[in-house]
Amino acid sequence: MAGPRYRAAAAALLIVEPLDMFTAVFHRPSGVTHLLNEPAPQILEALADEPLDRDALLARLAQNFDLGEADGTAVLQARLTELETAGLVDRV
Amino acid sequence: MDDTPSEPGPASGFAPEAQADAPASSVTSRRMLMLGAVGASTVIAVRPALAQTTASVLNCQIPVPGPGDAGKYIDRNGNVVNPGPLGPLGALFGGPYPPPSRPFTGEEVRNALYNGMSLPGTTYYSNDAYLKYIKKLSGGQSGYTCFLSIQNPRT
Amino acid sequence: MRVGPVGFRIGSDWHAPIAALDALYRDYPRPEFADYSFRLEAVSPWRRRVRPSVRVAGDYWLPDASPLPLAQGLLAAEMGMNLQVALGHRRHLLLHAAVVARGDRAILMSGVSGAGKSTLALMLSHRGWRFLGDEFAMIDPDTGLAHPFPRPVSLKNESLSLIPEGCRTGPLLTGTPKGDVRHVAPPAAAIAAMDEPARPALVIFPRFGFPSALSGLAPTETFMRLTQASTNYVAMGEAGFQALTRLRAQVPAVALDYPDGEAGVAAVEALWEAL
Repeated sequence: MAGPRYRAAAAALLIVEPLDMFTAVFHRPSGVTHLLNEPAPQILEALADEPLDRDALLARLAQNFDLGEADGTAVLQARLTELETAGLVDRV
Repeated sequence: MDDTPSEPGPASGFAPEAQADAPASSVTSRRMLMLGAVGASTVIAVRPALAQTTASVLNCQIPVPGPGDAGKYIDRNGNVVNPGPLGPLGALFGGPYPPPSRPFTGEEVRNALYNGMSLPGTTYYSNDAYLKYIKKLSGGQSGYTCFLSIQNPRT
Repeated sequence: MRVGPVGFRIGSDWHAPIAALDALYRDYPRPEFADYSFRLEAVSPWRRRVRPSVRVAGDYWLPDASPLPLAQGLLAAEMGMNLQVALGHRRHLLLHAAVVARGDRAILMSGVSGAGKSTLALMLSHRGWRFLGDEFAMIDPDTGLAHPFPRPVSLKNESLSLIPEGCRTGPLLTGTPKGDVRHVAPPAAAIAAMDEPARPALVIFPRFGFPSALSGLAPTETFMRLTQASTNYVAMGEAGFQALTRLRAQVPAVALDYPDGEAGVAAVEALWEAL
């Protein structure tokens, strides 16, 4: 029951410009500019090298960041759905 | 987006001996990352300021032929010519075709070029003639910039 | 006429608006070809003579634009030019901004139509600054340079009293949708130099009529304000994104509130000195 694995859109399809708390991302295929607030840029970075399912992604983020005490599973799912809708992340 | 400690004070005060004794997973002081809330957005698409700028294709028009050639006809190859001897009836005999009664909108031309629809009020042949005229438009001619924006798949 | 990198050809059902344009644009060169052509047309055949009413008929139009009376034909022509450029231009990233320069470096003053940027630009142009335009900043997507687009400045209502002596002006147009309007041609030197770009060195978001205040802007806020100030950001696609992010990254941006023209001019010059 691992669930789908996600990966970030290929680096060549995106232009990423960190601003401050936000990061601007130009999605070449759609021509749309997105403004990403955390944790979206960090998720994109974590999914850039190899596909991860949601639980593995949560674990990876917990390794690199302090996520606090609450269970982030549902929230992370919401983030992944958002990123998928924008075409910044897809499923393998 | 890198793991810098969020509070410099205590982290920088770590003595090397204390680090060696602590469990491996808590040695690195990680910064906090808020995952947000289920209902909140962290990905926001930038929308243009003017609605008209996304609808520019809908708002632009291509006259056939341009105003400088008002009253002239279009032959089968899309060239602007004088009316033929049969006048409007030339349309029944392979051209030249009388001009349409009004300019076409950008959306109409886009549908004709890419979506398999004919320009409004045309036959198979006059549609073909007008489209050939439009495809020959070049800089400075009326409708050229509209034609260019139709070709951009994002407009 | 040609203004900076854009050529216009304007036809009309009447002589008067063309005569007014000829007078206002007397110092401008003729274009080699016209990027945009449009006509000032009568709304209907019988309205050519009786309560004549002007509509702009060009490549680009807005479905809800109201026609203007013939007496305001010059205003219709100016609005027509703005519209064709705002919707059709792709060679540069367009920002709603006034641009002035000293030497080869420029200040972009970004704001909506008539927000005070035009008046500031005109006043600065009479204090030793080169006028590059008051409606659109044209940013070259490859070089990042601002190209002049010095159209006549349209001053409205209270700003009319600020027209300096000896400027070439259009007729006073009363009762327009924006109130009383008069067009002022830029200084001849600005028109003569309209093929010389300048490098943006400062971006100001001015607000007229507020107590003097100055604040820096965070990168995201600057970026968002710039996207909202652009009429062709989305249409420019990747080139627009690169041009805008480069501008944001390389040029400092501030929000400036000022109570009146003189205070505004003084604040801008002080900012320039501090760069």
